[in-house]
Parts: sequence; C-alpha cells; structure tokens
Amino acid sequence: MAAVIVSPKRPFLTLPFLLPSLSESVAVESRRNQSSYRRTKQRLRVKPDSSFGASSDQSQEQIIYNPPSSAPSVYHTPTKFLPADDIRRTLRTDASTDSHNTKELPPVFKSTSEKKYHLNQSDIEEIRRLRLSDPMTWSRWKLAKRFDCSPMFIAMVCEASPQKKEIQRQVLEAVQSRWGTKRRMAREDRQLRKESWGRDE
Amino acid sequence: MKRLQLQRWSSSVLSPRVRTGSRLQHHLYTGLRCQSTFSPVPQAENEPLTHEQPPVSPIPSPNSQKSKYTLPSPPVEAARESAKLAALHARLYLPSRLPLETLARSLVDASADPNSNFNNASLATLGHDLLTYYTSEHLICTYPRLPMAVVFAAMYAYVGPKTLAAMTREWGVEHAATPGGEVDPGFLQFKRIDPGTEIGEGQVNGTTRPNDHRRWRVSMSSRVVYDNEFGEPVQDPTKNDGLPRPLPQGVTAEQASANFVRAVMGSIYLHAGRPAAKRFFEQHFLSRHLSLTELFDFSQPARDLSRLCARESFEPPVAKIISETGRKSRHPVFVVGIYSGEDKLGEGAGASLLEARSRAAVAALKGWYLYSPLNVRVPSSTEEESSAPWKPVHVDLGEVIV
Repeated sequence: MAAVIVSPKRPFLTLPFLLPSLSESVAVESRRNQSSYRRTKQRLRVKPDSSFGASSDQSQEQIIYNPPSSAPSVYHTPTKFLPADDIRRTLRTDASTDSHNTKELPPVFKSTSEKKYHLNQSDIEEIRRLRLSDPMTWSRWKLAKRFDCSPMFIAMVCEASPQKKEIQRQVLEAVQSRWGTKRRMAREDRQLRKESWGRDE
Repeated sequence: MKRLQLQRWSSSVLSPRVRTGSRLQHHLYTGLRCQSTFSPVPQAENEPLTHEQPPVSPIPSPNSQKSKYTLPSPPVEAARESAKLAALHARLYLPSRLPLETLARSLVDASADPNSNFNNASLATLGHDLLTYYTSEHLICTYPRLPMAVVFAAMYAYVGPKTLAAMTREWGVEHAATPGGEVDPGFLQFKRIDPGTEIGEGQVNGTTRPNDHRRWRVSMSSRVVYDNEFGEPVQDPTKNDGLPRPLPQGVTAEQASANFVRAVMGSIYLHAGRPAAKRFFEQHFLSRHLSLTELFDFSQPARDLSRLCARESFEPPVAKIISETGRKSRHPVFVVGIYSGEDKLGEGAGASLLEARSRAAVAALKGWYLYSPLNVRVPSSTEEESSAPWKPVHVDLGEVIV
C-alpha cells in the first residue's frame, strides 16, 4: 500500500528550524518507553567489578576482600609505629601497602623550609634590642624578613614590650567593636570548628 | 552479580495474609486475657510504691514485728524470704556459693546502717580496689601507649560512679525510700541527702595534696601521685580548710548505687574466689563498649606529631595530597596523608587543606597511641596455679611532651 504523503506547502530543507523540534519529539517518546520494567532492569544490569566473584583461573576457594572506600581505622597501627619486636612488622609486605606512588604525590605546602640555624647570639641580641627600641617599626614579620628566619623564631627569642601589647590589644578591640552579630558568630563558629578537628568530630 | 529482587521482598512483608495472621493472634491473646482468672498486672504498679512507701517485708512474724521497726536495716533472716533478692541473684547469674544474706548486706549502705558488721562499706572497699585493679591492668596492657589523661578518662568510663549507677539501674535494683528493718532486703537502702544540700561536685576543699592552699597548677604527674584512680583530688578528712563543715547526713543515689556494685564485686571475690570475680568483671564491666578513639583531644596535632617523629628518630612528617575534588568550588574535599619517608602515618579528609592536614595528624597520633600488642595477658592472669609464666608486656616511653 502506498503511503499517503501530504506534501507541505514548503519543503523541510528550507525550514531547518523544524528539524531539532522533530528530533526532540522522538526523544520524548523514547523516554516514556524507558520507564518500562524490563528496560529499567536491563539498564541496571551492570557488569560487576572484576574483584567480585571467583575468577576463572582460580578454581579453589578464596577470600574476597573488597572494602568500601573509607578512612582507615586508627586501630590499624602503621607499620612504622609498630615496636621492633612486633610480629606484624614482618607479616606486612609491600603488596599490602600502597607506597608505590608516594613520591609523585603533591605536598600540601609548596616549600618545605629547611632549618638553617644561621643566627648566632649577637643576632639574637640585635633582634631583642630592635624590638624593644621601636616596636611599631620592627614587628615580628619585619624582623623575620630582615634576619631571614620565621616569625615563630622571633616570638621564641623575644617578647614585645607591655606598651606594645597594650596598643595591640586596643587595636584589636577597636576592630572587633565594629563587628556585627553575623560576623562575630561566624568567627566564633570557625573557632569551634577548628577545635573540633582535634577531637576528630 | 544479581540484584535484590525487591518485588519479592515487599510482597512477603506486606502480604495481606501476614497482616490477617497478626490480627488473629491479637484476637487470640485478648481472648486469653479475658478468660484468665488473674487480673492483668499493670506495668507501673509498684512504681509509686517504691517511691512513697516501701512494701513491708512479706514475713509477718508477730513477735518480731515491733523490733523490726527499731532496726536500722533488715534483719539477716529476712534475706531468705525476699523474692526480689532471689530474683536479683538469679538475674545476675551470681555463683551459688554467694549466699543471699551477703547480697542483702551489699544492698545496705553505710548511711543507712552505721554498724560496719551490717553495711556494705568493707565489701565496697574491697570491690573498689578489685575493680580499679582489673580495669587499670586491662587498659595498660592492652593499650600500652595511652596518655595518662586518656587512661584516667577510660578508668572513669569503665568503673566510675556514673557507670556503676547506670549498671545498678540496668540490673533492676530499686531504691528504698527510707531504710529500715521492715523494708524488703531486695531494695537498695541508703539515707538520702536533704533536698537543697549543696553537693560539692568537681571542687574539693581540703585535699591530700601538699601545699593545697597555694592553688598550684595541677600537673598530670602530680595527679598520678596524689589523686585517686580517676585523677580526681581526694578529700582529706583531717583537713577541713578552717571551715566548720558539717558531715553530710546522707549520700546521693549515685554514690549508694556505686557502693552497691562494688560490694557485689567484693562479696563475689570473698565467697566464690578469684576466678569467679574475674569472670564477673569481664562479663559485666569489660563487656561494656567504650570507644577509646573519642577520648582524645589534641590542641596542636601537627606539632605533636613532628615532636613524636623527632623523638623516635623517624623522618620528619610531610603532608601530601592524596586526592581532592572541587578545589575552586564552595564545598571542596581534600584527602591528605601524612608521610614519614615512604610510610603513611595517617590520613584525613577535610574541607580545607589545613583541616585535612590537622585531621590526618590526629589520625596518625591516634594510630601511635592506640597501638595494641597481640596476645595481651594481664598480670592477674598468673595468679592462678598452672598458668603460663609471666612474660613482660610492652612498656612505652610515654606520651609526647612538647
């Protein structure tokens, strides 16, 4: 039987904007059919991971160990932390640890600072003198930059004068007095979150 | 891999046949209850009884009835007649060598009966020493690297007064409203403190420490030396801090319950011997789950870890990114591992690099502190004859001190 084709007034090719709408209508139709039980079942039938089930070459019984990805248990002591006489040191082989790509992992901090130990007693005296004489100019950061050490080291060798501490406290109070409720609460929450890291919550 | 056939499951769970069956059972039960000659016992029947007036002992012997009211605690011969006591003995699966009379005595607190021949003070002292000894040797031998603060917290969690009071409730021991000779010996008897009395919890005025009045900083080592097994200051009875404080006339329910559990432990030790006492300890105390990982609180874990690695002459710890996702997004996740040389010490995940590194350092420190040797034996296991000779356990250098 010959198909009856109703010829449009204008051919399709001259109206290209009709084509995407045509394909969309087809997609909608097929999407409705996807919800059938058999098709859903067929689509969900995924190939299992290779570690599941018995492999073909091993006919004897075996243990399948395929744990879900999770943080390692803290009761599993790292091999380095085991005492020398613990038998688990020898039982753990290289295969059980994933140390093959340790070298390639990027570090968290870009530069690992090697300690230089280059300051001597006279430098430390100089640091103390500078910090006491002009605390506004010679802050910890500036001293650290000048003597090529860390601000932590400056704090270890000397202390700010009481006047400077008082000034700094007033500055901090002035800054904090401008905070509104939201900012204050957000900062307190941040501090609380930071404390919860140590408790591992 | 086959998927679960959800259809089949739901059909068995929700099939109408099952539901009608349960309804049928319900009908049957209600029918039985109607036919029975006994009236159904409401569950909360003896609840107001115990709080308002203790039930009179079920042996009405007319000549001793008057003398019973003068006694501070139930007479010894009443123990055989108490159903509550026998039920408690059976419920706890106590050894048959432990007589009901001793169990009745362990339920009488020193505040109820000051006579030390009839109260549980001596039994509680013995039981307390046994409990703390067994717990401490278990903790120290199983986790030889635990910091002292965690050991104190774990001791408190295992045999502290709050835990013992909870155990008393779990054992189904009820409190008598007022102690007396006519009370059923199955009730825990103690004199309650008056309402409104200040309970000095947490702060003790006169302690056994030297230079107590100077308010020196209390270090962890001094807590080991001077304080009790939970690291809490000990009240010195001779010192009263110059303040005339009247002795409290009663005890709290928590203290009385704790003394009762300790007294049960002591009486098992006395009557049934050491193995039975150890078995009771393992079944009732060590079987309680305590998550030791939650007792830690580090303020600067990264610094502690680097000090630890320097002390043990490992390579200095380096934090490396194992994986990350969404670094530029609102909710990034970083997984950071801390490596010492080639070995991974710990791993942590966090929303920022600092958080992940901090958590990884915490995990590494916990891995160090929670080391547990294989085949743990405790010193008290050599007390029995025909036991294997004692081999020294692992002794650690101690916690990291920065």
